[in-house]
Amino acid sequence: MSLNVRIAWRNLWRNRRRTWLTAGGISFAIFLVVSAMSLQLGQYDVMIENATSMMVGHIQLQDERYIEERHFEDTVPEASQLISILSREPKIASIAPRVELFALASVGERSFGVQVFGVDWEAERNTVSFLKFVKTGRIPVADHETIIGSTLARNLGVSIGDEIILLGAAKRAGVGAMAVTIVGLFETNFPEIDRNMVWVSLGGVREGFGLGDEFHSLIIRTFDVSNSLEVRNALEKKLASHDPRSNVVIRDWPEIMPEINQMIDIDRLSAEIMYLLLELIVVFSVINSFIIIVFERTKEFGMLIAIGMKPKDILWLVQWEAFFGWVIGMVVGVSLSWLLILWLTRTGIPLPSDLQELAAQMFMPSRIYPAFSTEAIFTAPLILLVGTQFAAFISSIRILYMRPIEVLRGK
Amino acid sequence: MEFSFLVNLSIRNLYRHSRRTLILLLAIVVAIAGVVIANALLRGMQDDIRRQVITNLNGHFKIHRSDYLANPSIKRGFVFSPDWVPYLGDANIDGWAARVRVPASIMSERETRGVELIGVNPSSERISFLSAVEFDGVFLADSRDRGVIIGRALARQLKTRVGKRLVLVSEGGDGLAREAGFRIVGIYDADSELNEKRFVFSGLETVQQFLGTAFITEISIKTFSQDLRNLKGTLSSYFSPLQILDWQELEPQTAAMVGYVDFGVLILFVIIMGALMFGLVNAFVTSVMERVREFGVLRALGMAGHIVVIQVILESMLITAVGLVFGVAGGWLIASWLSKGIDLSEWSEGVEVVGMSSVLYPNIIMEDIVLVIGLTLIFGLLSSAYPAWKAIQIKALDAIGR
Repeated sequence: MSLNVRIAWRNLWRNRRRTWLTAGGISFAIFLVVSAMSLQLGQYDVMIENATSMMVGHIQLQDERYIEERHFEDTVPEASQLISILSREPKIASIAPRVELFALASVGERSFGVQVFGVDWEAERNTVSFLKFVKTGRIPVADHETIIGSTLARNLGVSIGDEIILLGAAKRAGVGAMAVTIVGLFETNFPEIDRNMVWVSLGGVREGFGLGDEFHSLIIRTFDVSNSLEVRNALEKKLASHDPRSNVVIRDWPEIMPEINQMIDIDRLSAEIMYLLLELIVVFSVINSFIIIVFERTKEFGMLIAIGMKPKDILWLVQWEAFFGWVIGMVVGVSLSWLLILWLTRTGIPLPSDLQELAAQMFMPSRIYPAFSTEAIFTAPLILLVGTQFAAFISSIRILYMRPIEVLRGK
Repeated sequence: MEFSFLVNLSIRNLYRHSRRTLILLLAIVVAIAGVVIANALLRGMQDDIRRQVITNLNGHFKIHRSDYLANPSIKRGFVFSPDWVPYLGDANIDGWAARVRVPASIMSERETRGVELIGVNPSSERISFLSAVEFDGVFLADSRDRGVIIGRALARQLKTRVGKRLVLVSEGGDGLAREAGFRIVGIYDADSELNEKRFVFSGLETVQQFLGTAFITEISIKTFSQDLRNLKGTLSSYFSPLQILDWQELEPQTAAMVGYVDFGVLILFVIIMGALMFGLVNAFVTSVMERVREFGVLRALGMAGHIVVIQVILESMLITAVGLVFGVAGGWLIASWLSKGIDLSEWSEGVEVVGMSSVLYPNIIMEDIVLVIGLTLIFGLLSSAYPAWKAIQIKALDAIGR
C-alpha cells in the first residue's frame, strides 16, 4: 500500500465524529435502498409468477385473428399434430389446449352470459394453478362435468350436483349446446372471473359446439419463466419450418399481459426517483463534510505543498479519504441490510389483511419476501461511491490553486 | 440578553462560512422540495383512485335492497318514483342517480357476451363516468330512449357498430327469461376497458318495460360534503329499510389502499429527513467544535449556559427555516408546473389495474405542507440537540487555555 493511502486512512481517524457522521449518512442510505430494492425485486418475480401461472401461462399460441376479436370460428386446426411437434422443445414443461367461447348458461328461466373454457383437466393442472381455486367440490373427470364461479352459481341459484345448459353459436352456423353437471365451485380474487366463468372439458365442448381436432389457444408453461422469450422464438422457428404459411401467432407473457411489466415499470421508476433523492441528500452531506475538511486543513495542505508535495497528490489523498469513508459506510450499510434481508427471508412481511385481496388482484402475495439480487446489492453502493468521490473532488478542487506562502501566512 | 441580538449573532455565524451554509441549505431545500413533490404525486394518485371508484357508478353512497348485492336480481329491487326529489335537509347533495342494473346476455349476429344492463336517466348520470366519455353516435336522450349505448371494446368483440341491432336477454320481474332487440345509438370510449366490456346502458323506463317491472335496483348519491359519516346517518334513516353503503364499504380494498397513502406520505418524509439529519448534525456539531475558544470566551465573559444552548439551536433552526421556505416554495412551484398532468398512457394497462386513469394530476394538500413544516422543524431541533449539548459542556478555562 502506498504511503498516500496509509496517510488517508489515518487522516480519517483524526476526527472520528465527523467520519462516523459522514459514513453514517452513507450507510443509512445504502441500508435503506438495498433493503427496499431487495424487497421490491423479490415481489416482481412473485408477481410475474402469480400472474402467468393463474390462467395465462408463460407462452400462448393462437390464430392471428383470434387474438384481438375472440371470434369462435378462428380456431387453430390439426391440434394433436401441432402439440406433438411443439412438445419436442426441451424447455417446455407442459402444454394445455383450450377452446374458449361465450355462451348463455341457463337453469330453468334464468340465464347469464358466461365465458366458457373447454380444457384438458390433466394438462391444465400441469400448466396453470387455476384449479387450486376450486374451494368447494372437486375437479371434473368426466366430459359432462363442470366447475363454475361461485358468484355465478349464486346468480343462477345453483350449487354442486345441479345441471346447467350452455348455449352458444356453433362453429359452422347453427346453435351449439351442452348440458353439464356442476361438481365444483371456484373462488378467485377476481370478481369478474367468479361472476363470469365456466370451465368444462375439451371433449365435451368440441362435441357440443361442432369442433374437431382444433383449439383457440395453447397455453404453454416453460421450466423457467425468465426463458419465455427464448422459448417463444424457438417455437416460432419450429412452427415456421413445419408450416410456413401458418396464421398462428406465438406470444410470450409480456405481450399477453403488458400490464404486468407496466406495473413493474411504474413501481421501479417511482422507487428509483425516491432512491436518487435519498442518495443526492447524502451526497450533499458528504460535500459539506469535505468542504469542512479542506477548510480546516488549509494550513496543513499549504505546508505539504511548500515542502514539495504536488497539489495533484493532495487531491488524490482526499480522494482516498473519501473512498475509505465510503468503504466504512458501505460495509455497515450493506451488512445491516443483509441482516435484515436474512431475517425477512425467514419471516417475510405480512401485508395488512385489508390489502391482501387487492394485492392478489395485482398478483402480489400476501406476505412479501425479499430476494437476494446483485442489482439490489450493488446499485446503491456504486451510485454512492461515484457520489462520494465526486463530492470530495469538487470540495477539494481549490487545492490546485493554493499558494503555499499565502496559506501559511494565514491569508 | 436580547433575543434580536442572538438572532443577529446567528445570522453572522452562518455568513462566516457561506459556502458551507449554502451547501447545507441546498441539501435541505432538495429534501423538502422532493418530499413536497412526492406528496403531491401520492395525493394525486389517491384522489384519482377515489374519483375512479366514485364515478364508476358508485357515488359516495349507494342504496340497494339489502339482499341485492348477494344476488343482483331485478326481483330484489325497490319502487321509486321517477319524479321524486330527495329531501335531505341541508346535506350537500351534488347529484343522485336511480338505476336498474341486472346481469344480461348481449348478442350480435354472431357473438354473445355477458354484460350488466343498466337502465339510466341520462340527465342524472352527470355524477358518473358517463358524463366524461366520448361517444360515437349520441348519448341517450332521456329515460324513455329505446336505444342502447355500449362500450368500444364490447362493440369490437361483437363486431358491431352504431345503428346496428343487438339482442338482450335477461331475467324479468316475473322470474322468466325475456328477450328483446335494441338499436345501438352510441358507442362510448371509457378510460377503463373493463367498463367498456361490462356496462351496457339504455333508458331507465325502457329497461323497466323490457323487464316488466316498476322496480329500480340502486340509487347512487354524490355529495360535496366531507363528512360522510354524518350524511350517511341522515340517509339511512331516510331510506330505511333499504341498505346504504358508502364508497369505502362498496370497494373496501381500494379504500384501504387509499388509506395507506396517508401512511406512505409519513414514511417517505421520515426516511428523507433521516438521511438529511446526518448532514445537519455533522454541520452543526462542526460549527460548535470550531468555535470552542469563542464559546469559552463568551462563557468567561458571563454568557449563561442556556444562552449558549439557545444560540446553537437558533443557528440550526434559522438555516432549517430558510431551507424550509425555499424547499416548500420550490416543491410547490414544480408541483404546480406539473399540474397540467403527467401522461402515464405509456403504461395505460398497468395503471388501470391499479385503478388509476392515465393522466396523473399532482395535488398539493395544505395539511401535508403543514405536516412537512412542523416535522422539519422538529427534525431540525433534534439535529441541534447533540451540538447544543456539546456546546454547553465547554468549560471557559479549558477552552481559552487550549
